[in-house]
Amino acid sequence: MKKSIAGGSGGAAGMEVALPHPRTSRPSGLTRFLESERLLAGMLLTPTVLLLGVFIAYPFVMGVWLSLTNVSVGNPGEFVGLKNFIKAWNDSIFRTAFYNTFFYTFWATIFKLALGMWLALLLNRHFRGKRIVRAAMLLPFIVPTVLSTFAWRWMFDPTFSVLNWLLYQTGFITTKLPFLSDGTYGMWCAIVVNTWRGMPFFAISLLAGLQTISPDLQEAASLDGANGWHRFWHVTWPLLKPVTLVVVVFSIIQTFSDFQLIYVLTGGGPANATHLLATYAYQIGVATGLLGEGAAVSLFMLPVLFIVVWVQLRYLRRLEGA
Amino acid sequence: MTTPEHEASVDALNVSRRVFLAGSAAAGAAVGLEGILAARRAPAYAQGTRLNIVRWVDFIPACDVELKRQAGDASKALGAEVVFEFINANDLQARITAAMQSGAGPDIIQMLHNWPHLYANGLVDVSDLVAWQVKEQGPLYHQSEANVKVGGKYLALPHGIVPGLIAYRKSWLDEIGASAFPKTYDELREVGAKLKKKGHPIGQTLGHTFGDAPGWAYPLMWNYGGMETTKAGKTAIDSKGTVEAVKFMSAFWKDACDEGGLAWDDTNNNRAFLAGEISASLNGASIYIAAKRGQDKIKDDKGEPMVRDIQHARLPAGPAGSWSYHAAFAHGVMKYGKNQKLAKDFLKWLHGKEQFGKWFQVAEGFSIGSTKFWEQHPLWSTIDEPMKLFRTAADNSRVFGYAGPPSAKATEAYSKYIIVDMFAKGAQGMKAEDAVKWASEELKKIYG
Amino acid sequence: MIERRWKRWVYFYIPITVFVIGTLFPFYWMLITSIRPDAELYRSWRAVNNAPFWTLHPTLEHYRDLMAKTTFPIWLWNTFFIACVSTAISLFCGLLAGYALGRLKFPMAGTLGTSIFVTYLVPPTLLFIPLASIIRTFQLGDTPWALILTYPTFLIPFCTWLLMGYFKTIPKELEECARIDGATRFGAMLRIIFPIAVPGILSAGIFAFTLSWNEFIYALVFLSSPEKKTVPVGVVSELIRGDIYFWGQLMAGALLGSIPVAVVYSFFVEYYVTGLTGSVKG
Repeated sequence: MKKSIAGGSGGAAGMEVALPHPRTSRPSGLTRFLESERLLAGMLLTPTVLLLGVFIAYPFVMGVWLSLTNVSVGNPGEFVGLKNFIKAWNDSIFRTAFYNTFFYTFWATIFKLALGMWLALLLNRHFRGKRIVRAAMLLPFIVPTVLSTFAWRWMFDPTFSVLNWLLYQTGFITTKLPFLSDGTYGMWCAIVVNTWRGMPFFAISLLAGLQTISPDLQEAASLDGANGWHRFWHVTWPLLKPVTLVVVVFSIIQTFSDFQLIYVLTGGGPANATHLLATYAYQIGVATGLLGEGAAVSLFMLPVLFIVVWVQLRYLRRLEGA
Repeated sequence: MTTPEHEASVDALNVSRRVFLAGSAAAGAAVGLEGILAARRAPAYAQGTRLNIVRWVDFIPACDVELKRQAGDASKALGAEVVFEFINANDLQARITAAMQSGAGPDIIQMLHNWPHLYANGLVDVSDLVAWQVKEQGPLYHQSEANVKVGGKYLALPHGIVPGLIAYRKSWLDEIGASAFPKTYDELREVGAKLKKKGHPIGQTLGHTFGDAPGWAYPLMWNYGGMETTKAGKTAIDSKGTVEAVKFMSAFWKDACDEGGLAWDDTNNNRAFLAGEISASLNGASIYIAAKRGQDKIKDDKGEPMVRDIQHARLPAGPAGSWSYHAAFAHGVMKYGKNQKLAKDFLKWLHGKEQFGKWFQVAEGFSIGSTKFWEQHPLWSTIDEPMKLFRTAADNSRVFGYAGPPSAKATEAYSKYIIVDMFAKGAQGMKAEDAVKWASEELKKIYG
Repeated sequence: MIERRWKRWVYFYIPITVFVIGTLFPFYWMLITSIRPDAELYRSWRAVNNAPFWTLHPTLEHYRDLMAKTTFPIWLWNTFFIACVSTAISLFCGLLAGYALGRLKFPMAGTLGTSIFVTYLVPPTLLFIPLASIIRTFQLGDTPWALILTYPTFLIPFCTWLLMGYFKTIPKELEECARIDGATRFGAMLRIIFPIAVPGILSAGIFAFTLSWNEFIYALVFLSSPEKKTVPVGVVSELIRGDIYFWGQLMAGALLGSIPVAVVYSFFVEYYVTGLTGSVKG
């Protein structure tokens, strides 16, 4: 049936077909909408932007405002400018928490990287039971942090610790080690637990990176006379750098803002010696009810995280450009 | 082991017991009847009305069981569903903050220590209920009253006190030649040193936990003459007395204490004591009661039930006094709640002689009443000998913020565990003067 | 030959064994504690018969008490429900957003992508107090919806990023062919691209499910009634009771609370690994 194309289709080839797709004629409103990259993108991104806007952006702004006031539980409070930040900076417990957060993140990341790399190299070979081992290795990362940290807490218990018992029986110690009763020990115990928990993430990611490296390269290197360590350092490591960088950054973000592990393991004690910024913010804000001050403490985390991410993006861009 | 004083006091108890029974029979009948009548007269609450109460998990589990049972009775009497929720005491403050911030949550929340001062803006005035309770059960103990009275109004209804005494193993003290429990801190240190050498140290928590830690730290400071603030509320902790106290703590810790105590919460000392790891610890009566309840499992090294070896004693005296600190508890009605009238009716029912009396009986001396009335309860004449000390234990307690009032600032100082940390720092090796200076700085930020 | 074997043992078998033991020991400890009777649990460490690594009197009383005397089964269900629904929401948003950012050109694409990623950096400890007010305004306090709507805030950025990487690896030609054959851009997206991305979707889903099961602080603050709680919060707040830290039940709860996640993940471990590695490469 002949259909005359209505309405000035300037470029239309005047095809008289009863095709359902008005492809060569002026697109209808909806189709044009769906075709346009911009509008489609807008539509696709709307749910995300909405959710994140309401539940992150808006609370973030409110949180910043909160940190500039002296709101406490039940009291509306008033604007006090930067007073909370100054008070935090002069607070010895805050300084301890600030230092602890860096200390904790630094060492945990190094251990996770080293052990994860080692494990990845080991898993890169073929051996019987490899799949089971690989799956078992991921367990610490899968299991909810709170629950596994409890198991560790029980293992470090001041009175009933199985680790103390073991060390005592094998003659390494004569009195109980103060795992969680001493600030320094406590920090290292937390680092151990965090390493235990996070290493699988590193291992699996680095393993994937390793598996993209062609074995021919390794062969060539060993033929040239390089030993194991040499091969690793000069052949494997440069190729793993991008993967490592991404993994490290993610890990740093998570570790730096860690809350659950310390909350369950030590609660910030003994005597506030193992607080991180997140747990201290919670203690001030919620347990003591000083919401403005708690918000200020939390905000100190942001600059560090920004810097870390910015550095990563620059370095990645450089790597990709090279 | 009866002395004339002891016999006289037993007689006195028996006399007062008769008086009590006679009086309470009449009064109890009246209250019970009145209660039922009142309930019948009470307006019927809308279908599905629910009253939520949050309390700590009692260290005597039977008490919570009794409360749940009473909730059933209350539901019938009031015509609305009454539900108790029990959470870890150390989480109560966080819960209160979250509830007040989100404007929704339990209708009644238990208040410990002097929390009503801190949460004053979120609590309903219950002065009328307090007046009723005082009329029925006599004047409140000093700390119960001071903790709930904010600016002339009563913001919570007192519900008991958990007195803390030192539980100790009699046989171990006998072994080292201490026939009576040390009366002064210095004596305690000597005795403790001998005990620790034998592998039975004293156990004390200096961690961030709500009960045993402040219960030790604040009196230690007071008994050496230290105080947080002057009467006018200005920071006054940096004094010779406080420094002496911290010096004592450092030495005492090394010589006599289980040094794991820095990480202990309120439960660790119980478990350590019942496992035979420590010889003495400041605690409520829960150690004794747990040993008694589990006597077929909890034995001493000779195979006998450990409960037979447990005695109690008051905190020792320092150069400036023999004060203690006993945690007073209360129930607060939350302003955001939608069932405030129902909440007040329920509290009146719960705190009455009949209901509280039943709960008090189940507590077996762990929780005592908020007024002297409950010192006359027949429970005290049938209770085990070592527990009798708890009857009048609550009478020498000060409150946070001494020598100033127990204000919201005192609560803040408590919530931040400044006093406890001061002693913890000393125990960890910091010089006493430095620890006190640190505490002084921290308190100045709060009190000015 | 012998030298090679010695080397293999030292450099390979022993390290792997140590890794496996170190990784799995805490779980073994959880298991042992959960079946050990209370009398053995709290025995003095100097007691003669102390054999902490095994028990001769295994008991199921802790599991029984856990299931009967607490609302643990309800927590399991709550956590599962919340995890499923928030994963679904996050996948939906992440899928659409990932496609938009990965394959479409439009102004501000870079900025938008970066800002979505940046939200990942905002610490929850800052957000939860203002969020409490928002939850109150919407009257969602103490309901699972408080969590279902807030969990996507940290799940979506990750899902988006992961799927974006996935989408970038799909060759453009596929789409071009589809459009030449008459499909709209939208249709091509639905019918061609999405099915190819199913592995990526599965990976993102598993990851989101695991993360949501693991979440703690929002659940701690926004939920209060015992029957509404999730497993992590319930275990922490209800099994630490008074003067008796119910370690037996705690460990039983910890084990049981980990099982659903471990089961889900065991079915999809390949996808999980691929997802982790794919996201890392992309």
